[in-house]
Amino acid sequence: MKEKDIFVDYKSHQLILYAEKEDGSYGPIQSGSYITKNYIDDFWLKKKNLEKSLVEKLKEGEISPIYYYMTMDELSEKELAARVKICRSKLRKHLKPEHFPNIKLSLLKRYADIFNIPVVNFFQILIIKKDKEFISNIYKNEKLVNINIEQLPTKNPLVVITRIEDK
Amino acid sequence: MSEITFNHKMAAHCESGSVTALLNHAGLEISEPMVFGISSGIFFGYLKGPRFAFPVFIVRSKPGQIRKNISKRLGVKYHTASFKNPQKGEDELDRLLEQNIPVAVQVDFYYMNYILSHERVHINAHFINIVGKKGTKYIVSDSYFPKLVEFDRESLMKGRFAEGSMAPKGFMFYPTYVPENIDYEKAIRTGIKKASYYMLKLPIPFLGIKGIRKFADSVVEWPKYARDIEHLSHEIMKINVLLEDQGTGGAGFRFIYATFLREASEMIGHSGLLEMSKRMMEIGDGWREISLFTAKIGKNRDLGQDRLKELGNIIRKRADVEEVFFRDLQNIIK
Repeated sequence: MKEKDIFVDYKSHQLILYAEKEDGSYGPIQSGSYITKNYIDDFWLKKKNLEKSLVEKLKEGEISPIYYYMTMDELSEKELAARVKICRSKLRKHLKPEHFPNIKLSLLKRYADIFNIPVVNFFQILIIKKDKEFISNIYKNEKLVNINIEQLPTKNPLVVITRIEDK
Repeated sequence: MSEITFNHKMAAHCESGSVTALLNHAGLEISEPMVFGISSGIFFGYLKGPRFAFPVFIVRSKPGQIRKNISKRLGVKYHTASFKNPQKGEDELDRLLEQNIPVAVQVDFYYMNYILSHERVHINAHFINIVGKKGTKYIVSDSYFPKLVEFDRESLMKGRFAEGSMAPKGFMFYPTYVPENIDYEKAIRTGIKKASYYMLKLPIPFLGIKGIRKFADSVVEWPKYARDIEHLSHEIMKINVLLEDQGTGGAGFRFIYATFLREASEMIGHSGLLEMSKRMMEIGDGWREISLFTAKIGKNRDLGQDRLKELGNIIRKRADVEEVFFRDLQNIIK
């Protein structure tokens, strides 16, 4: 493919593509990502819709927080079980809300590390108001114009500081 | 505190990029396409099963093979190490950096928090070069990031010692010996022969050309694995990401392989490879067409059986042309 046909002007997401250059040689070009430039809004729309439906199920007690994060992070049961170092049947129990309270705190911390969240996020749903609408912020912190929400770790592995900053 | 003078360059792919950068640092002038081609990086596999949340395909050889094959075919020697104890893995990395040795480490890509969040997925086969340390921050040269980046210790440790399939176990490597005289012709021929063999002859129904056909046949069944239309759209659009954005150099490594063949033809004076290079570039154009098609139908939620069959057909066409291509390639390199 010729360089002019493959190059995408999009600074936020850069990558290296190989292409035919103007002089006929083949080589690398630094380009923007075609799919991020053109379709990132669609990606986030689907992610938000998925999150919304899972949060509803979480609130209704139909799924456990482990199921929520596993689905959002696109992990299979087998892969998550291997990462937590438990058998798959045990993991399946943890996906059910009735078994979630029986998980040891130390094991819950292992799950939290895999999902890269503080343990406390298994027990709360953060809601923020944006464009006159309350939206869930449980998965990844929403970037907002006026406020900044950060969860800062402490030396105590189970304690996190949730900092809400008025920018 | 240590910081090595390291020429950071973005690269198409993390493993070929990190191997190339370390070889360049060690004084061997070699390009990423040459590393990729000599190590027989090009491949195809269609994978599904309990390990995967959804069927997936791969377009390159197994992680680790690029370094191993470069070692075998160019005579480069590497020091490699894995660690059961994360503290020992961290101490060893720090010790090497103190000695001004840049080191490649294997990590779970998910924890590389300098990369945009929508790109990051759990995959234990990402390679980065660590080229220094400032306080508790490591200086990272990542092929997927435009510049050197300071990276927090905690995230690096999480990435290096993630569990699961292909768990990195703190794996690290760096070259210890680069031969002065390299028989590039032999290395190129071996690289091409092996790649052709893997694409044509592996007796496994989901690998190589058979894998592309399996993918073509299976994509029409994807709706049964999806939760809903948005999930299906997401997975279909991931075809574009896997072919273009996840470190392939475009068209599922076909463009970088075309570049390798051209470079190889010049290096060993083989005009047949130049012709094959042009053909591979055209094959890549066809893969690019698949990428654009999946992005379009995914966005439009145009994912009925007819459209998926159409997708299957254009994927199958790639199998047909690649089968002829690799046979011809095998024949001219004998």
